[in-house]
Amino acid sequence: MSHHGKLLLNFQRKNHRTRLIDCYQQSPLKASRELYLDDKKEQATVYLMESSGGMVAGDRNEYDIHLKEHADVCLIEQSATKVYPSYNHRCSTQKISVQLEEGACLEWIPEAIIPYQDARYQGDTVIRMKKGSTLLWGEIISPGREKRDECFLYNEFQSRFQIWVEGECLAYDPIQFYPDEMPLQQAGMLEESLYIGTLWFVSPRVPSLDVQYIHDKLQDCNHTKASVTTLEGKGLQIRWLATDLWAMKEEMNTVCHRFRNVQEQTNIEMPSLGSDVI
Amino acid sequence: MSIQKDDSRSLLNIEGINTEEHFLHLLQIHDSAFPIGSYTQSFGMETYIQNDQIRTKQALIDYCQTYLFHNLGSGDAILVKESHQAAGNQDFDRLIYLEQICNAMKLAKESRDGSIKMGRQFLQTIFPLEESALLDEYKRRFDDQQLKGHHAILYGIYTAHLDIDIQKAVLTFLYSSVNGLIQNAVRAVPLGQHNGVQAMYEMLPSIKETTNRVMNNTMDNMSNNALAIEMASMQHEYLFSRLFIS
Repeated sequence: MSHHGKLLLNFQRKNHRTRLIDCYQQSPLKASRELYLDDKKEQATVYLMESSGGMVAGDRNEYDIHLKEHADVCLIEQSATKVYPSYNHRCSTQKISVQLEEGACLEWIPEAIIPYQDARYQGDTVIRMKKGSTLLWGEIISPGREKRDECFLYNEFQSRFQIWVEGECLAYDPIQFYPDEMPLQQAGMLEESLYIGTLWFVSPRVPSLDVQYIHDKLQDCNHTKASVTTLEGKGLQIRWLATDLWAMKEEMNTVCHRFRNVQEQTNIEMPSLGSDVI
Repeated sequence: MSIQKDDSRSLLNIEGINTEEHFLHLLQIHDSAFPIGSYTQSFGMETYIQNDQIRTKQALIDYCQTYLFHNLGSGDAILVKESHQAAGNQDFDRLIYLEQICNAMKLAKESRDGSIKMGRQFLQTIFPLEESALLDEYKRRFDDQQLKGHHAILYGIYTAHLDIDIQKAVLTFLYSSVNGLIQNAVRAVPLGQHNGVQAMYEMLPSIKETTNRVMNNTMDNMSNNALAIEMASMQHEYLFSRLFIS
């Protein structure tokens, strides 16, 4: 029988702390209680758990996350999303809906999605946010279990990601890979890269960032190709194409850490993201 | 049936217009003298050229195949088809939605700006030629900065207005987009005119195949799979010296 996991999380700021005021969970999805880390007492950190160990064909996971005004939340995926082979042509699907009210701030720290041989996966993520809210969102797509020589042996991988800021579509990023029908190694596709990393940073602070500097820093790593682009002056997208997962994760963590620092600076007239910051 | 503007500037200033004249006008739109500035855009290809990854005719064809199948054919060409249909149905809300998706899907800033620049020049060039309530409304919202003016959307609207068959609209859009890229490569690599002609000739079956695929596809089939081209387009912004705007 297929699993239909559900996780509905509702956060609200109360007395200078963000609380998880509603939590509906349906197996195999589960959320930890909110944790308050020493250095960020106002932010609620919640671990997202998947107790089944992986998705099989026909499984469906659904996340619905709502941050009320000025809620500050960090969501951390506890483990990689493993997608097992589909022998009945059915997909494993994951749907994430996020709503951020004015002044809310959400970080989503990802683990890789790993589609095994013959797997079929469809992911659909929609973020709806206000102009004054902040999003730091990561995604990592793996080619399969690389160490078992299982790269790009899945049947289907679809992922659609969209960000809407008060009625304006800021980013629309659909990927549809069918490795049997499309040689992903050909010029212009993934070429020699195996891993895809994406980081989205949407914040009122984006206009003050030195994008050229970020681009230059991204060129320092030998195991990844990376670049940054601006989204209508309201957001940044950084994309990595990498041969080494750990090098890419390290790079993504470094950039996340720097964006967090930028976000925490309370002075609106903040300095550019210069060498003292990144 | 479209109505031409009663304007001495109009080169097609005759009463009524038949299919052959629409066909001639379609050729005119794709003439290199038609000022939409495609010769200034490489949509990321210049990064490949500067990295010495396109040096031969075959490398250019390989690059164009990916660009055609996994960028144009899964993005702009579907939007040409959708906007042609929406214009035929006079569905302005749908056109606004398609504009939004077109803008948001071009993640690399320079590709987004390039599409808008070509769209603006296309709109300014065609607007004095033909009378159309839909184009008037589009122009009004464009002037009010409610719409960005992406080339693919405007091409769909205008070819619908000209009663150009939807499949022909997609086919000619793909042809002229690939042709523009090859002409730019001929100049930038450089490759020579004969290599350019041969490369384009070899691309023709793929253009037809992609058109057929687009006709069977919907918005659900839109995808952004040419990730290395997208990255080249992002990196183009930071190149030291450049021949092209994107």
